[in-house]
Amino acid sequence: MKIFRLLTPLLLAIVAVLCFAPAAWAFCGFYVAKADTKLYNKASQVVLARQGDRTVMTMANDFQGEVKDFAIVIPVPTVLQKEQVRVTQTKIIERLDAFSAPRLVEYFDSDPCASAYSDNLPQSAPAPASERREAGSARGDRSLGVTVEARFNVGEYDILILSAKESGGLETWLKRNGYKIPRGAKQLLQPYIRSSMKFFVAKVNLDKFEESGYQFLRPLQISYKSPKFMLPIRLGMINATTEQDLIVYILSPQGQTEITNYRTVKIPSDVNIPLFVKDEFGEFYKSMFQTVYTKENRKVGFLEYAWDMGSCDPCSADPLTPEELKEAGVFWLNDNSPSNVPVRPGFRGSFPSSSVFISRLHVRYTRDKFPEDLMFQQTANSESFQGRYVLQHPFQGELKCQAGREYKRSLPKRFEQEAQTLAKLTNWKIQDIRNKMNLSVGNLTYSWWENFLSWLGLN
Amino acid sequence: MLLKDIRDYQILFLGLFLFLGIGTRDWTLRPELIAVAIATCLVTQWIFSLVTGKEQILNLRSALITSLGLSLLLRADHWTTMAIAAAVAIASKFIFKFGDKHFFNPANFGIISALILTPDAWVSPGQWGEEWWYGLLFVGTGGMILQRIGRWDTTAAFLGTYSLLEAIRNIWLGWTWDVYWHRLMSGSLLLFALFMITDPRSIPNSRIGRVVWAMCIAGLTFILRNYFFVSTAVFWALFALAPLTILIDVLWLAPRFSWQRGDEQAGEELLTQHS
Repeated sequence: MKIFRLLTPLLLAIVAVLCFAPAAWAFCGFYVAKADTKLYNKASQVVLARQGDRTVMTMANDFQGEVKDFAIVIPVPTVLQKEQVRVTQTKIIERLDAFSAPRLVEYFDSDPCASAYSDNLPQSAPAPASERREAGSARGDRSLGVTVEARFNVGEYDILILSAKESGGLETWLKRNGYKIPRGAKQLLQPYIRSSMKFFVAKVNLDKFEESGYQFLRPLQISYKSPKFMLPIRLGMINATTEQDLIVYILSPQGQTEITNYRTVKIPSDVNIPLFVKDEFGEFYKSMFQTVYTKENRKVGFLEYAWDMGSCDPCSADPLTPEELKEAGVFWLNDNSPSNVPVRPGFRGSFPSSSVFISRLHVRYTRDKFPEDLMFQQTANSESFQGRYVLQHPFQGELKCQAGREYKRSLPKRFEQEAQTLAKLTNWKIQDIRNKMNLSVGNLTYSWWENFLSWLGLN
Repeated sequence: MLLKDIRDYQILFLGLFLFLGIGTRDWTLRPELIAVAIATCLVTQWIFSLVTGKEQILNLRSALITSLGLSLLLRADHWTTMAIAAAVAIASKFIFKFGDKHFFNPANFGIISALILTPDAWVSPGQWGEEWWYGLLFVGTGGMILQRIGRWDTTAAFLGTYSLLEAIRNIWLGWTWDVYWHRLMSGSLLLFALFMITDPRSIPNSRIGRVVWAMCIAGLTFILRNYFFVSTAVFWALFALAPLTILIDVLWLAPRFSWQRGDEQAGEELLTQHS
């Protein structure tokens, strides 16, 4: 009876488990050079288009070394067949990057003597292009508990899908077949093998590559069905000595995607910064990212952009066309859906829901702060967000009225505020910023006590 | 009067977490949704109290705790979703009863209902991050309440079982231990273990019952999280196993918990035993 009492709840728990449904998978490989090429992977770009438990993943390939040395090993959830792997255009990732990049916006003050209303025209300058990198290596034989589940050729790549029984065998197999496996790979391969994952191994078929006539290796795109929504970053950390940048573009039918096992933090946005940043926006963004990354203790993922793909405001690039979205892996657009109506470029698109929502996550990770692979979840959060930085040009004409004089007097305070904001965001020296600003706003003079007062007012 | 009832502390702490979360974490939390949650919970409580005529005047505290719990955990795109969750949460207390006892945790029931019934609800498991001082704060405040209501056994059984299962899995997979600690150090998990599965009114009455029940929830959470990849596994596990309370109460008889000291022997016994 006692046993029965203990067992009943347990049995019920098991029944409850059986009511749900299973599967498994994962990503992002390590470089495994075939020759002694100096390889390092500092940043990578991945596009994940996901609906339900179907995922299409596109991995940018900006491998820097000799094409013949390229090879990659990625854990995947299922055995992939030829139809599930294809190569796509590099352009598509560049388009996504440009569309979602943090942006600089310019506004021009109107004549304060002319009207009370200012009709500012926002203009956007495209943001710093993000860096990437990506890659790895492998090929076939048999023994050591390693099974070649599939072997095929896609575009300029030779693909192998391997399954393994234990990590030592897989490591030996890869080495025997000429892949240079980084030290420490064995320990890291084990968890993936034990989680029943397969290994996607790609290298370049040189003949096919020459035939194709492409200058660079094109991105690989794979599709699979699995409830697990994650990116394996651990393997990629084996041959990385410093922090690595990963930009993930997640396309979903409903709303924002967030990381479930690390915090997802919005990048600082909508701040007014000094005009000179226009010429060094890339530097600004890098410094700002580094500052906020350090401030968050180096252990969060950053949201840089979240928007319905049908519109943008302001646009740093035209929204992607339905064809481009399909190329990027979006598989849920029907040909008769309203989203196929040509997307209107330009800004202030009212709200033409395109049923594709993009989240751009920027994760800078290191081994000590990111021990676990990234897990994601799609949410219904349709809130728009963008990294947006504002340049506010002062009115340059003559100011004769009272309002004009007041406006002019208010400017130094505003500039100082912008300088402070910039210093806080980037950790740049405030004095350097002030010096630079004097250059760009040199025609505006203000007395020492105005300076002093504004300084006081802000401190 | 104020702070006599343990639930006042609970309200205070949950309010503090909400305040901290909004202030220091990057939450997509909208003030109007919190207002909607609180208002809906109170109104629903009032309506049901009127209709059933059972509850003496108004059980404001309970409704307030539920609404704070919902605000902390549930995210929604529209206010209607939050209203539905809040209304269903309170209604579950009056509808799903066995004898005199409701067996679903109201906030948990509201969360699961919103996830199932509405298209725009979600829970952000990563929202607290894994900062150690939040962990400390949760353990401190939660421990204080558990001490007074005598439900630490539930939390211990849940966390103990769950961390053991995760440890076994970690060893088997061959991950390093920092992976393990990272998985356990989630603020959301602690918050759940300390504040949600310990609701003394809806969980089993007897200690052995509670321990078995909490272990089952831990096991189910583990399985849902690791083999079915459900990011909100804890809530589903609690939801699925809440009805088990009835069975456990039948198997292991014990008097029901009461919030009022000395009101019933059970409460008295438990309070003196552990304070």
